[in-house]
Amino acid sequence: MAWVALAAVVVVTLAIVAWPSGGKPSQAQRVQSVSSELRCPDCESQSIAQSSTETARAARADIRTRVAAGQSDAEIRQAYIDKFGPSILLKPESGGLGILVWGLPAAALVLGAGGLVLALRRWRREPHLHPTDADRELVQSARPR
Amino acid sequence: MKHRARWIALAAGLVVTVFAVVLATQVGTDPRADANKSHLLGANAPSVDLPTLDGARLRTSDLAGKVVIVNFWNSWCIPCQEEHRALADFYGRHAGDPGFVMVGIVRDDTDDAVRRYVANEGVPYPVALDPGARASLEFGTRGQPETYAISPDGVITGTRFGPSSVANLEQLLAAARGQR
Amino acid sequence: MKATLGVLALALGASGALLGVGTLAVGLTRHDDRLLRVGRRYVFVVLAAAVLAAGVMEWALITHDFSLQYVADNNALATPLLFTITGLWAALEGSILLWTLVLGGYLAFTAHKFRNRATDPLVAWALLVGLVVALFFFVLTLGPANPFKTLATAPADGRGPNPLLQNHPLMAFHPPMLYLGYVGFTVPFSFAIASLVTGRFGEGWLAETRRATLVAWGFLTIGIILGAWWSYEVLGWGGYWAWDPVENASLLPWLTATAFIHSVIVQERRGMLRVWNLSLVIATFCLTILGTFLTRSGILNSVHSFTQSAIGPTLLVFLGLVAATGIGLIAWRGDRLRTPGRIDSPVSRESAFLANNLLFAALAFVVLLGTVYPLIAEALQNKQLSVGEPYFNRMTTPLGIALLFLMAVAPALPWRQTSREVLRDRLLVSAWAGALAMVVAVALGARELAQVLAFGLGAFAVAGIARQYIIGLRGRRRATGEAWPVALVRMVRGNARLYGGLVVHVGVVIIAVAIASSSAYSTKREVRLTSGQSATVRGYTLTYTGSHTNRSGQKNTVTADVRIRRGGDDLGTYAPAISTFPNASEGIGTPSVRTGLREDVYLTLISSPNQQGRVIIGVAVNPMVLWLWVGGGVMAIGTAVALSPSLRRRTRRVEEPAPVAPPTLEPEKVPV
Repeated sequence: MAWVALAAVVVVTLAIVAWPSGGKPSQAQRVQSVSSELRCPDCESQSIAQSSTETARAARADIRTRVAAGQSDAEIRQAYIDKFGPSILLKPESGGLGILVWGLPAAALVLGAGGLVLALRRWRREPHLHPTDADRELVQSARPR
Repeated sequence: MKHRARWIALAAGLVVTVFAVVLATQVGTDPRADANKSHLLGANAPSVDLPTLDGARLRTSDLAGKVVIVNFWNSWCIPCQEEHRALADFYGRHAGDPGFVMVGIVRDDTDDAVRRYVANEGVPYPVALDPGARASLEFGTRGQPETYAISPDGVITGTRFGPSSVANLEQLLAAARGQR
Repeated sequence: MKATLGVLALALGASGALLGVGTLAVGLTRHDDRLLRVGRRYVFVVLAAAVLAAGVMEWALITHDFSLQYVADNNALATPLLFTITGLWAALEGSILLWTLVLGGYLAFTAHKFRNRATDPLVAWALLVGLVVALFFFVLTLGPANPFKTLATAPADGRGPNPLLQNHPLMAFHPPMLYLGYVGFTVPFSFAIASLVTGRFGEGWLAETRRATLVAWGFLTIGIILGAWWSYEVLGWGGYWAWDPVENASLLPWLTATAFIHSVIVQERRGMLRVWNLSLVIATFCLTILGTFLTRSGILNSVHSFTQSAIGPTLLVFLGLVAATGIGLIAWRGDRLRTPGRIDSPVSRESAFLANNLLFAALAFVVLLGTVYPLIAEALQNKQLSVGEPYFNRMTTPLGIALLFLMAVAPALPWRQTSREVLRDRLLVSAWAGALAMVVAVALGARELAQVLAFGLGAFAVAGIARQYIIGLRGRRRATGEAWPVALVRMVRGNARLYGGLVVHVGVVIIAVAIASSSAYSTKREVRLTSGQSATVRGYTLTYTGSHTNRSGQKNTVTADVRIRRGGDDLGTYAPAISTFPNASEGIGTPSVRTGLREDVYLTLISSPNQQGRVIIGVAVNPMVLWLWVGGGVMAIGTAVALSPSLRRRTRRVEEPAPVAPPTLEPEKVPV
């Protein structure tokens, strides 16, 4: 009974958190999210949102202008790819080769979990122990003379 | 299954081998190769509207119909200082040509430092300032020095990242003029 | 002269390793005990050679001997003494030298520890494998990574170390700790190979290598935390983890080693998972070599920009050989290893450990895939791609949350199987603590799912750990009537591994909560101020009071003074700076951080005063970052506790009767 109450509290709390905050993201939020997915052109691996170089600041201003002009996230990303090449994206695209980097981990996890479930089932059955000839030899050789 | 371990080991071995081959093919390559070439080759040059050092403005209309060499630089970058002589010489050779324009755009620097540099070292061609780094962004620059060659119909025909020699600049010019 | 001495030392090390390998190999094939005893002595030759070579290099550095190319490249007359000494690991050749030194130390320690079992083939094989690895690294130093190359004409002054490497005393600790971790994994690896080769899979090898793995793991943990600290306090980009390839390279072996530390407990208790554990140990070692390859071959873009060298292909070949040997051995012996063990219930400690391993393996897979994906894309499609924070955060966060859940639940799960009543007794109260924490967090305004889950699960875990300590203490006091502190110490020492491990878990929770808070609730702003002006960010008033320039040696530093106030309290003056060196075209920023219990105020100088005297200062308010370092410290303490010799073991040794004849072989605890 106590568990049900606990579950209820947890579910309600998580629902409050996960509830979509309603409405579209604000312009500032869109600028933040787009610029955190684009690499700053003259840094090693920082995003445009994180970096404080001159280029990064110019890029943030540029993205702000584009968002205000109504461009979609995909359009803005494409504009930057056109200028700097696909390495400007910090998050690999999901299509094409991207299936490898997004899909493989999920597939591996599912396969691993499945394997684990199967192994658990197999282990719960009675084990069958049949010594093989190799086993007998091993015992023979290990016996003190 | 008696040989299950062998099959799993074989599979693992296969994966590792493929992985090793991928790594081996990449050993000699330069991960920064992409960062050293421009993606705007063959595309139309972005429009410009920048203040120049002497208070005027540099606009796309000033560059239309001419062969343009644009050099992004600033006063504190060492390779820029290295190529300064070559740039000045190159400009001197072609300054008299009415169909030729050369412009230096300063990125990521302060006005005073630029003025001081120009006063001390002398820069014979017009210098434009890019305070908000907008032109730098439009051109897809990642650093300095970077040199871009634009044909009379406004297409970027050649780029060079890093310090240039006079020979490099002549090559860029020839490509922009449509000659090989 | 020094160069010759250094090269001689390296040659001594290489030949010592080679002779050791040969002697041990012959001794093993001929079952010649005498040869085995002699062979093991070569380990000490290797150590001596490494000490000598490192000593010569330090001598050259301290005396500024610029006839050596390494010294000319990494040291200058103006370099302070501390950074001269740390110059040993400032660049590739020196760090390989450090690797041989640490490896020599570990091998010597292992040889010494097993001196009474020197004729045991298991030990002999382990030393042999260790010596092979040492041989490889000495060959590296004699070939592609020679630190003792000389210059035809010695320059008057050296180039000095990379400015980033002489910024902070942490340079003295971060690389050595990492290496103590990385190299330490060679020991369990050697024993794993030895166990596979000799066909002896009894728990003998396991108990011995478990401690070595924990030691190496502990050092690696500290090394990684120090790296994050350095990233935050010294590099100044504002964060502590960038998912940079070099950072990922240090994380990968840590992940597999953590999985091993847990699954090894299942092997001890139930005799299961032997093949898996052997694979984990071998994989951990392979990952350390892979990591070195990725970071030193220049194959990937990284903030840690090491210079390229011919070391890449050599490392790759070695890695291939090691992996092939490991896989081959497991394929050969794998069938013998399988035990008829079973897991009785999916809700048991064993299953929890299995799930733990699955998650850690998945994490390692994700980090590895993300790190090498640019290489795959380049190889297959000739496109240059980047994989950065958004990918790694998206993929690792759910796995991390799942691991937090396991950490909360698993220590309370009984072995084999359980009942609902037991689960209720053990978990309900802690679970309510977690739920309460979540409610409080949401009430205080938290709205990010991952963060709220981290807070809740963290509280759940800590409550469970507190419960275990309290119940253990109560039981002990009832039995012995000791005072609290005495009971605590005795209880912990009675089962050091469990109670130390629980402390490590507390450290992990602290770090998880710190990461959750700082990643979701940081504020970043840039303010433009002239002298005397103030700006307010998140309740802190920052006043720029002026700047000053400082020349010292080659460094030219511009510092801005900023006074921080909150409410009415003056929190002090902080001084972010930019330093420029004549060789580097860009300035190196030095952040100034006001560390607080609840949050940090992180100041960076983005641009020095212009003609009007105006500066741009980056201000970030980062919550809970201090607790990252505290959590790391707690993890280190927990590891030390877990490693302390268990009371039980000690008393048993005292009670054992003195043996009549010295035993040469300890009987295996579990029959093969």
